Amino acid sequence: MNYVEWLRVRNLLRVVLIILGILLVLAVVLRVSVARYMSPDVWVHQALMNHPGVKVTNVTLPDGTPRTIIDDPAESTRAVIDDHGYKGKRIVITEPSSRAHEENSQVNVGSIQVFETRNGKMTTTVIDTNGAVPMIYYMLLADIVAVIVATILAAPLAREIDGHLEVTLTKPISRVRYALEVIGTDAVGIVAASFLTVVVFYICQLLFESARLDFSGVNARAIVMGLACPMAWYAMLCAATTWLHRSYVAVLGFAWPIVLFIGVLTLIPTHNVVALFVHDVAWVLSRLNPLTYVSFAEPNEHGLLTYTSAGFAQRLSMQILFFVAYGALAIWKWQRVEA
Amino acid sequence: MSTITISNLRKLYGGVPAVDGFSLEIPEATVFGLLGPNGAGKTTTFKCMLDLARPSSGSILYDGKPLAPETFERIAYVPERSVLYEWMTVDEHVEMTRRAFTSFDPARAYELLAQFNVDPHKRARALSKGMKTAVMVALAFARNVNIMILDEPTGGLDPVNQRHVLSLMINEAAKGNTVIFSSHQIGQVERAAERIAVMDRGRLILEGLVDDLKADRKIVEGIFPDVSFTLDGIANDARVARTDRTERIVRLLVTAGADEIAAHLSAAGAVGVRVLDLNLEDIFLYAVSPATATADVVAKESST
Repeated sequence: MNYVEWLRVRNLLRVVLIILGILLVLAVVLRVSVARYMSPDVWVHQALMNHPGVKVTNVTLPDGTPRTIIDDPAESTRAVIDDHGYKGKRIVITEPSSRAHEENSQVNVGSIQVFETRNGKMTTTVIDTNGAVPMIYYMLLADIVAVIVATILAAPLAREIDGHLEVTLTKPISRVRYALEVIGTDAVGIVAASFLTVVVFYICQLLFESARLDFSGVNARAIVMGLACPMAWYAMLCAATTWLHRSYVAVLGFAWPIVLFIGVLTLIPTHNVVALFVHDVAWVLSRLNPLTYVSFAEPNEHGLLTYTSAGFAQRLSMQILFFVAYGALAIWKWQRVEA
Repeated sequence: MSTITISNLRKLYGGVPAVDGFSLEIPEATVFGLLGPNGAGKTTTFKCMLDLARPSSGSILYDGKPLAPETFERIAYVPERSVLYEWMTVDEHVEMTRRAFTSFDPARAYELLAQFNVDPHKRARALSKGMKTAVMVALAFARNVNIMILDEPTGGLDPVNQRHVLSLMINEAAKGNTVIFSSHQIGQVERAAERIAVMDRGRLILEGLVDDLKADRKIVEGIFPDVSFTLDGIANDARVARTDRTERIVRLLVTAGADEIAAHLSAAGAVGVRVLDLNLEDIFLYAVSPATATADVVAKESST
């Protein structure tokens, strides 16, 4: 591991930790102040309790779980709430199908899982507030942080060219090895930033409930994509900053606006030749951007997040290809710089 | 065996030669001073020696072998400007050097830093120019290397620390190591260097042992009764490197046999002839700017 680069990474991770720490404090404040109003059983209570004739029964199950049964004969609705304390709540609502969705559905929002089953004229909705949290949500957040960290770190060779070559190039290692060490150190930093983000958001969730993470299927793929994408983005900027080392700060600063601008240009309507030309140029340029190929999952017709193996492999291959190709470009230039 | 052999080194920047056919042999266990006016090509030569700049042609060999990454285990380099990381502390620079070089002695580095009165807890950005130079020098001299290449190693240092750096250089040579350094302060070079080379416009124009150069080179000055004197072929003598005539006065820079040349001048009709010694500064000035130098030397000798 390259020591100087590690110091840069360490300093940046400290900043990331401070920001995540602030978010954690805000989560604590939220937990203390408003969390109880966000509980799903409160919504159920509020939705049903205002109706006339509603009957509420409280019982204790053999395992000690408190159960609240709310019956609303006028609306033909019944809600059963099992309170498992810190481990969450399980709410089963039975209501006429006319008030529910037309089709069976499953919705995941964080740890809250909602299963809706239509059975003739009645629909049963099961709300589990302690469902497994898809890692895909965590990786989306972690990826944002990781890409920002990658953007900040992505000029390791340019920073050396900017006044430190006499130190860097008089060490008893080859230039290629030096570059690989530096890039490897930054890669560790990017992964660490992702990991810290996941950990802090997990702690935030733990403030509210006993969180369970889901690493299966599409979630495992999301983790892989969530790590590969910032690496490829880093490699692209690393190549750009090494080649344009005199203006590497501008490259880092304008990277996002340029990428977004090109992205917008790919969306312009192609009504005339000029628009078509601009669109096509932007489209080609966007193909060189690793972020173009990022996709964590796609919802299927039932609302479930899915990712076909073929699609995932193709997108992941592109990220790896970009990382290798852009990294090689950076190292190729690095081998030719002179003090 | 010479430690470093530079053969026909040439480095072009945009077609303009910064170093032009420079050849030199630097023996081991010596303090070698590289002199030259600004833009002479000294720093470029150092950079080529360290592969920081790629020679356009020519070769540089260390004990007969080209530079390889492993060679840097036994070469320390102090550039003319600060290359410290401004955001890092001196402590962190010591740690960086320790991790990079197996022969680095951190205790020695801290000892030298203390001698230079550098606080190791300070960040580089908080150090003065002289202190930054001191840090780079301390890190280099704690490396325990065979070859030290120092580009203006006393830049910004106070006179006490300048003297300290010179002592360190001489000690290294006494230990059998080679120290190559450049400086615009010729007094320092004269004090520390055993051998020197003078560069001008990328070319080597003078090289040798300091004592030999000083012993061999003399100014022979002759004053004639009138301006229409002739030198009877003295100017063509191979030992006469330069002839300057100013009205009735002729000044000859001779590389050997000064007394014999003086006798020839007397025989040619000079009414007053004298032989002037040169110090290293005179030799340097003559080498890079001959006409001015000889006049300056004579003026200085006359005033004393």
